[in-house]
Amino acid sequence: MYLLAKSDVPRFLSALSARFEMYGPQVHPVSGDVFFDKAADSSSIRLDAPIPANSPKFAVFPHWERILSYAYDRETKDLRIVPEDLVRPKALVGIRSCDLTGLLCFDRFFLGQEFVDEFYRAHRRRMFLVSVTCVSPFAQCFCVCTDSGPAAREGYDVNLTDLGEAYLFEAGSDAGRELAASLSLPPAGPDAGRRRDEVIDRSISRFEAAAVENKAWISRAVNRLTTGFVKNETWEYIGQQCFECGACSFVCPSCSCFNIEDVNRRDGTTERLRTWDSCSFEGYARMAGEHNPRRPVEDRRNKRFFCKLSFSQSKKYLRPGCVGCGRCVRVCPGDIGMANVVTAIRREITGK
Amino acid sequence: MSYQTGICNFCGTGCGHMLQVEEGTIRGVFPSSSHPVGRGRLCGRGWHIHELLNTEERIPRPLVRKGGGLTPVSWDEALDEAAARLGAFSGEEIGFWASPRSSNEDAYALVRLARGVFRSANISVLSDVWYPTTAEVLREGTGRPGALGSIADIRKADFIFVVGTDLTRQNPIIASDVHFAARGGADVVTLSTRLTQMAKLSGTHLQNKPGTKNIVMAAMAKALLEDHPPDSASGAPAGFDGFRKSLEGLESAGLEARTGLPFDKIRDVARRLASARRAVIIFSTGITGLTRETTALIFNLFLAAGKAGREGCAILPVTGVSNLAGVNDMGAAPDVLPGWRRLPDEAAASSFARSWGKDVNAGRGRSVESLLADASSGLKALVVVDHDPEIELLAGRIKSLEFVLYLGAYANPFKETAHVVLPTTTYAETDGTYTNTERRIQLNRRKIEPRFEARPPWRIYADLAARRGQAWPYRSAADVQEEITRMIPEYHGAAHPALESRFGGWQWPGGSGPDQSRLRFVPLNGAFSAAAEPAPAEFPFRLMAGRSYFYWHLNNIMKNTFIPRREYNALLLLYPRGLVEVHPDDAAALGLRDKRPVRVVSARGSMTPLARVSEEVPPGTVYAPYFVGSMIPDFLVPHADAVEYGEDAVIPVRLEKV
Repeated sequence: MYLLAKSDVPRFLSALSARFEMYGPQVHPVSGDVFFDKAADSSSIRLDAPIPANSPKFAVFPHWERILSYAYDRETKDLRIVPEDLVRPKALVGIRSCDLTGLLCFDRFFLGQEFVDEFYRAHRRRMFLVSVTCVSPFAQCFCVCTDSGPAAREGYDVNLTDLGEAYLFEAGSDAGRELAASLSLPPAGPDAGRRRDEVIDRSISRFEAAAVENKAWISRAVNRLTTGFVKNETWEYIGQQCFECGACSFVCPSCSCFNIEDVNRRDGTTERLRTWDSCSFEGYARMAGEHNPRRPVEDRRNKRFFCKLSFSQSKKYLRPGCVGCGRCVRVCPGDIGMANVVTAIRREITGK
Repeated sequence: MSYQTGICNFCGTGCGHMLQVEEGTIRGVFPSSSHPVGRGRLCGRGWHIHELLNTEERIPRPLVRKGGGLTPVSWDEALDEAAARLGAFSGEEIGFWASPRSSNEDAYALVRLARGVFRSANISVLSDVWYPTTAEVLREGTGRPGALGSIADIRKADFIFVVGTDLTRQNPIIASDVHFAARGGADVVTLSTRLTQMAKLSGTHLQNKPGTKNIVMAAMAKALLEDHPPDSASGAPAGFDGFRKSLEGLESAGLEARTGLPFDKIRDVARRLASARRAVIIFSTGITGLTRETTALIFNLFLAAGKAGREGCAILPVTGVSNLAGVNDMGAAPDVLPGWRRLPDEAAASSFARSWGKDVNAGRGRSVESLLADASSGLKALVVVDHDPEIELLAGRIKSLEFVLYLGAYANPFKETAHVVLPTTTYAETDGTYTNTERRIQLNRRKIEPRFEARPPWRIYADLAARRGQAWPYRSAADVQEEITRMIPEYHGAAHPALESRFGGWQWPGGSGPDQSRLRFVPLNGAFSAAAEPAPAEFPFRLMAGRSYFYWHLNNIMKNTFIPRREYNALLLLYPRGLVEVHPDDAAALGLRDKRPVRVVSARGSMTPLARVSEEVPPGTVYAPYFVGSMIPDFLVPHADAVEYGEDAVIPVRLEKV
């Protein structure tokens, strides 16, 4: 463990930006919205910014991504396939533990199963991850209920915890340790671990008062969803409120569903695109021959909550798919973000 | 940052979004949590607008018809050709069809081109039937041609009345606010024939028989006046006696048979409205809008209940297309000059003559629709901005015109009708302001260079004007807007520099409510009768036309996206010939089965879509959510006049098993 003085943060960021494309939380100058975004200038990254509106997943899983292009010459029958030379190495700086956990779910989905997604791997390879311990929850947060925060335990190269005058710099990988050495960071004192734990405990203790939008009961919901004990009426009630916009999937740090489109360009080439998709759409589950196992909206809605919380799905991620960031609560026009669904399930159990 | 602030360009809600711009292309979209309307939300359409902005299905280059086919030409050649051809006609011979998707600047410049350069007063907004009527009703009643109150009033309201439209489909984010209010305890009432999602989310659903909305509203007004007669001594607004008289003929006896709703239930809603502290009424305008009579009833009811102009109370005529309100504010109508200066208006005429040149045509013209419908109108040339499938209804007549100029961004079959085609920019490729449902004027900045050879419409109009000998002073959209702020008093505060730093824009007239002394009841045309209109025995069903979520604007825009197009196809794959919804009881009686063809026959036409058996329509009613393929020529065209009656349109039909 090392100490990174706050006055030293610019040096730390510029050391990274020499080697990586920089991504981090930034505040829009007019709207004030916080976005996790690519930073042309690393000094625009704000480690102390509120939780970004978007999940950093777009850095490895863009909203719209060309994964290859090809050209077919009708006369010579010549087919040229041009794989995308995707990525320069990226540093994701200031990523919160909820979002980092989402990234780990992505790793298990795209890399850890039977097939390896090479496009995802290209983004993920040589990536440098700097997480920050969340010192105070926001109204919509519930990471403490989904075992994904407020501090990261794995998956980072460097984790920063705000100790007041300086950040505690924990290296989680050789690359992290090398960076600490190259910056000649001073080692943290013997009480650093205790001070970090105090910061985390203080953050957890604030959930009761600060995370007011959520009084979730995740563990019981996991149980109910897994055993199929949620009543049909509950799903119908939830389905009736769904506007079928897909927003919950788009903001979710662990939602990885995508759509593939081949687009013929006016210059004669064809682009193969990967774009975000959502299980809330009727066309998403449609199969050949007009068969659709999830046609009614309530079937589509409950699919998402099974995906996020059921044990069978959690086995694939080695943890629940929900990481407790609460973004779905904020973007849902029908007010059926994760927390409200868990509340509906709780009401079903407790009758109140 | 790669995310840049902008305003969603689909519907008239005007949600703020952040477009992700990388290397000169739009790569994604995200809602803005700080925007006062969207508040961090987008709908299923809005989440995919970047797909539309990236489409290859654009009109890439100017085209001129040569020897039958459209040939790519230079901008200069196309502009020369268009200006020369149009210049050969007199003003009365040219019609201008404005687009509700245009920015204020582009719409204003089009009106100037029509009135000031080609001296034509024949200007109307394509597919917009009812917004001008609605705005006119509100102007008569309040002195202001626009919504009363704001979208923000919805969340704070204790009583919300949604008339007609399935708001969850048409303006989902406004519906979301209604839903939030309902969850917070607001009393939400819906009035519609179909059991829409909005109706399912409401506390009270008044399911009226088709075509009876005006009667239900009249009955509600009558009930309200009986319970709470305004005290005329203390100054009921002007026009009250006339309003009360016009309701006298309405008997409550036959009401239930006529509307399907008992008077008690209607009166109960009237009482809840009257006792509400913060009441909001929402209804649709545009192609699914309400008639003048129904709109006037809604306003008068609201006024009689003491809600008009009261803090926290709102009447929101929601617009289905991004700038429907703004384009009308810009004067895209045959009988007004910009700023709703109804003609004849000497002062307005001389003011525009000073600004636009002495030859400006400040007379009254006719709408393009009426000119096209009238074979003897003498219309010879047409300028059309943006394709809208409503155009198909009049395609035959348009083909017989001597000259058609088409301007649009996206490729579509209508351009085959045109003699000159000019490619225009999208809202992400040029600066422009847009006015939403609640009079909120918002600036969209250019995010990327114009794709292909597209140019901003205001500039195209200026180039055409220059070729007719008029040098316009605009060098940018900001210059046009600057003139708008001088010529239209309501837009005084909306110059680009003022809007630049105000994400969320500015609501004319700057936040103050209407002048209470100007409030008055809007005169109604006719008496109301609850006497039942017997359905003709030959045509026992009532068919209504509607609009569905993904099949929006008959999909000319949506088909250029990926996910919304797929969702439309999901429905169309199940019902490839289009569909009509039929109640299960009717289906059983007639032996109709889901996804099987049904012949729909009226006095004027017939079509054979597939039946969708659904409890969302009441018995005796048929609902056609959209028209597709042969449904258009076989049925919609012969009934174009009825469909113009918006949500109250009813076509008597019979159903035959095929």
